[in-house]
Amino acid sequence: MPNAINVGVVAYDPKVVTIWEGIKDYFTQNQLETDFVLFSNYDAQVEALLKGWIDIAWNTNLAYVKVYRKTGGKCGVLAMRDTDVGFTTTIVAGKASGIERIQDLKGKRFALGSRDSGQAAILPQYFLKQNGINPEKDLQLTRFDLDVGKHGDTGTSEVEVLKAVASGEAQAGAIGDQYWARALTENLPEASKVRAIWTSPGYCHCNFTIRTKEDEQRFARWTEILLAMDYNKPADRRIMDMEGLKRWIRPQMDGYRVLFEAVDDLRFFND
Amino acid sequence: MDIASCSRQLMISDFSTTSIDALNLSGSDGLFLLVSRALDRLKPGDIVEISSDNPSVDHDLPAWSRFTAHRYLGKTSTNGRAVHRIEKGTAARILTDRDLDWNNHAKITDGRFDTRSWLVGRTALIREKALPSDGFAPRGAVVETGSPEFPFDVLERTQAWNESAADFYDQARTGYWDASHDIPWNQLVPLDAELERAICQLMTFLAENEYSALYVPAKWIARIHPHFAETILFLSTQVSDEARHIEVFVKRALANGGGLQFSSASTQASLKSLLDQEDFIAASFLLSVLGEGTFLDLLRYIERGAPDAVTREIARRTRIDETRHVHFALAHIRHALRTDLKLKDTLRRAITERASVLSGVKGLNPLVEESLVILAAGGLSPQNLPEAIRARGELYKTMHENRVRRLITIGFADREAEELSELHTPNFM
Repeated sequence: MPNAINVGVVAYDPKVVTIWEGIKDYFTQNQLETDFVLFSNYDAQVEALLKGWIDIAWNTNLAYVKVYRKTGGKCGVLAMRDTDVGFTTTIVAGKASGIERIQDLKGKRFALGSRDSGQAAILPQYFLKQNGINPEKDLQLTRFDLDVGKHGDTGTSEVEVLKAVASGEAQAGAIGDQYWARALTENLPEASKVRAIWTSPGYCHCNFTIRTKEDEQRFARWTEILLAMDYNKPADRRIMDMEGLKRWIRPQMDGYRVLFEAVDDLRFFND
Repeated sequence: MDIASCSRQLMISDFSTTSIDALNLSGSDGLFLLVSRALDRLKPGDIVEISSDNPSVDHDLPAWSRFTAHRYLGKTSTNGRAVHRIEKGTAARILTDRDLDWNNHAKITDGRFDTRSWLVGRTALIREKALPSDGFAPRGAVVETGSPEFPFDVLERTQAWNESAADFYDQARTGYWDASHDIPWNQLVPLDAELERAICQLMTFLAENEYSALYVPAKWIARIHPHFAETILFLSTQVSDEARHIEVFVKRALANGGGLQFSSASTQASLKSLLDQEDFIAASFLLSVLGEGTFLDLLRYIERGAPDAVTREIARRTRIDETRHVHFALAHIRHALRTDLKLKDTLRRAITERASVLSGVKGLNPLVEESLVILAAGGLSPQNLPEAIRARGELYKTMHENRVRRLITIGFADREAEELSELHTPNFM
């Protein structure tokens, strides 16, 4: 569609197509042509945004940080999910591990998710350091580098972290709070073998990133329509349940600061 | 009091706070169930306070609150126990504009709960037109908005519901019998070969007819909206009755040294035309009132003429079931006629159209006709044949008279009832 607003989306799961066909229909019903472009990884999506091949990128926090750095802070953000605010990392420990507080982790076997997962690798490493634990020196790390390039979206590495802690392969590990809540509500057998011992400060997760703040006005209507999606309407609810939100909200940028610090501290981007 | 503090007071009093004690529960062993149930009783903005002795809750509750779109407000300490506070969010767990039923006590008499007595609360509200999106939800349940539309095509109350269906359903269940054990199979005795062959032919014919009597209601079960539950439940007993009849007729054909006999093209054509009928009441009329009605006389004839206890008992038991099917259909049609003034035209058309489709079917399968005589004669002894042929003639006459009587019961005039009965298929069903 030549006049459509093109949104880049990383296809971390087949359901992404279902979700975005739904969102596309939703925008069409609201008389604003929108299409989606699938990418297999966030680096490619970020490149496409920077080169102007897409208008908006549905980015993880890490992809957003990358765009921010590449644009020298000129990029803008249109919206995010309610669930993208106050995101936390949960440290879980085996019930038999004797670990009750974060300080008890020293010298223990610790599991981390994919190296490009904000919630299961980058941020927990940074938070541990802030709490006086040097992950490289004070812990025996097990890393589950799965689906690298998708920034932890698939959740597979968090599944492995929880399994490792439940089986005793690791004594503790880091996962996102949403995976922890899901493991508990779905009564996963692993969830009963571990307990949460620490919750990180809140941070932000995904957002709709645009190349330049100056374009925020150009996409104002797109943003308004998105924000009007209503969880208490059946058709909207179907999409929102799949995308994991109850409400789209305006950006809250404070929640990204900690990831900037973490990325700098870990020298994550070598560019 | 200034205006600001006054309005603050109002805001505070608008929202309630509920307290629960979660003891030592954590997120993996029941905490969220307690909290969810407490939140269900509240409105958005209300607060639930959770007292807890489990330190994991510090982590589990905030994660779960975000996951379920409630707001975790933090933790305080009271008498050495943690007290967590959650504000209920706006996302409804179930989207609906209907109210829940509660406090119903259906009438139970002497320990018996008749199906008719379930007409209480919202279960008693029978819609004039069922909603496709109510789908498989039992009538009276609160259905979530956005449920898929089911493709049921009989949605009208006048077509699909009658007040006696529940009673017929109850009768069907109490009348249940078992074709393996309730027939005196050990009383079978060797019969004259011609007589046995005639019985086997009749059993073959009965079984094929009962297949249509199974498939026709089965087809309509799939098409009638479950809102009209009593009808669906009754039809399912009809299907199960017919399954048993097929079983018992086939078993009789195979039990005494004979075997299944011929199925004629004319019989098949007649039965297929029942399955082809695309109107529920018309189908029910043709199958149950005219077809099964005619079968009552046939089964009585077989019962009377049967040379053995097994055949006799089979005819008797199946006739009792068929009588129930006929009465259900009669009640259903009479009920529909009260509101649907054009229904009589529909029924008339159903008979005449079927007669024209079956215009090539000139008579009953001759092998079946002959078998009826052989049964009455007890074999092929020439001296018994004239009386047996007369008996068969009597049977046809009785069938016609009873059809006319049933048509009159429904509301057709005498003359018209005569004509319509004449148009009924010579195949009986």
